Amino acid sequence: MYGGGNTFEAIRTDSLAQEDPEKLAAFEAKIERGEKIEPTDWMPALYRKQLIRMIEQHAHSEIIGALPEGTWITRAPGFKRKLSLMAKVQDEVGHAQLLYSAAETLGKTREQMIDDLLSGKSKYSNIFNYPAFTWADSCFISWLVDAGAIVNQLANAKGSYGPYCRALERICAEESFHLKYGHHCVIFLATGTDKQRQMFQEAINRWWAPMMHFFGPSDKISAHTEILMKWKVKMGTNDDMRNQFLDMYVPKIWELGFTLPDPNLKKNPTTNKWEYTEPDWEEFKRVINGEGPCNKERIEVRRIAEERGRWVREALKAPQAAYVTPLA
Amino acid sequence: MKSLDPRVNRLPTLSREITTKVPLDQLGTYEVFVQAKENKPFQHEGIVHASDIELAFVLAKETFTRRFTCVSIFVTDTRDVYVSALTEGTVNAYDTLPPYTPNANNILENYLIFHLLKRGKQHVLAGKVTASTPQEAMLKGKENLQDGKPVFNVWAIRESAIRHTQPEEMVLWKTLPDKKYRDASDYKAGDKLTRFLAQRKNEIL
Repeated sequence: MYGGGNTFEAIRTDSLAQEDPEKLAAFEAKIERGEKIEPTDWMPALYRKQLIRMIEQHAHSEIIGALPEGTWITRAPGFKRKLSLMAKVQDEVGHAQLLYSAAETLGKTREQMIDDLLSGKSKYSNIFNYPAFTWADSCFISWLVDAGAIVNQLANAKGSYGPYCRALERICAEESFHLKYGHHCVIFLATGTDKQRQMFQEAINRWWAPMMHFFGPSDKISAHTEILMKWKVKMGTNDDMRNQFLDMYVPKIWELGFTLPDPNLKKNPTTNKWEYTEPDWEEFKRVINGEGPCNKERIEVRRIAEERGRWVREALKAPQAAYVTPLA
Repeated sequence: MKSLDPRVNRLPTLSREITTKVPLDQLGTYEVFVQAKENKPFQHEGIVHASDIELAFVLAKETFTRRFTCVSIFVTDTRDVYVSALTEGTVNAYDTLPPYTPNANNILENYLIFHLLKRGKQHVLAGKVTASTPQEAMLKGKENLQDGKPVFNVWAIRESAIRHTQPEEMVLWKTLPDKKYRDASDYKAGDKLTRFLAQRKNEIL
């Protein structure tokens, strides 16, 4: 479960003027009533485009996100941790399969999505452009990055597009062990030697800024997404999701005796919201545009996988099989 | 490329630049149906891409039945699923079927009929009918498989186009209960945490 705050460009709603007003009203009424939209239902072009973009980003995040954690399978401490991490990474790649399928129902083929990932046209969660230096980094990802993703995805599972909601329900159910596994790993570090505690503290210090970026730009500066909220493509603002994560996990981190590298982090008892130092959104933009420490490596690994798998795909190609859009 | 991951450092460099994949360099689409428990109906779960129905079966097992209980799955080529209109409100999809005159010379075959009973949920197996065409199968479903609730979408699949789980393959799912490391219940650290917190409290005092 790696889907983070999605990046949305400023939404241009002028294409809505070309839509049939009666159909648009019926579509919006259906969503308002809490009904799901299915692939063959009428939908505005903008809804289709934004959903493809969001689901595709989520799918890419799952396969790219498997890379920094996958790095640690061979070096995980002990046989059981290796088994667990291997199963978790396998799950994440499986989640990508489910999500690509959901996006395909909207008419974009899987190969187009992979092409767009490799060419840099499609984005994935920014956090995976950072390196996992130590085992503690892997534990941070398993516990807290997954936790952040769960906050987002539990909300999105209540969205309006049937195939995406069904994929997310399955994904969230499969996640139950990931979060417990991540927390278990962190408890072992936290209750271990001074060196182990220091390792996890250093991981927190490295990952806190990317974690705050994970939920996307602040509502004050992010693209206007009211229409996406109305259509239940997006189920909460970036700041709402970030606040929910802080509410659930900052107390748990503090309870373990770790500190967070933000002197301004505190919950305002009046507003019931968390206050924090504004994340560096310029860095967020730089990383999302390819200047992060691992962007090039992540895409290069995917490109090599693509190239090395070519002979397998060619060998498997059978004239009787044909790509068609999935049904549901 | 210099990586923290030794496996990445060992990867070969690309002999050529990949810009785009070869057009339609992808495999066929197969629909996957899962039976979670004995006596529960099969339901649609999603798709896999595969070169043929045998590989689709293997990938379906990996993709959809790693975690959840499962006793059987089947797969079929998406092109072999005949689909009615998708309806909403009080409109029954069976009432939208076009008129059809069966041809007495056609060969009869078994068809599985799937119903969508609640929009947003999965298609569920309603039963089996014998017919000479998918259209006729749907009409027979209308006559014999409805239980009074509106059906929002009907699928008909010729049974001969389905790759079923064979009895000897049921063992595929027997190992699921043994893999405890994939269960949340296998990660209990409450006692360790409680002892640690108590110790910290004492240190502070």
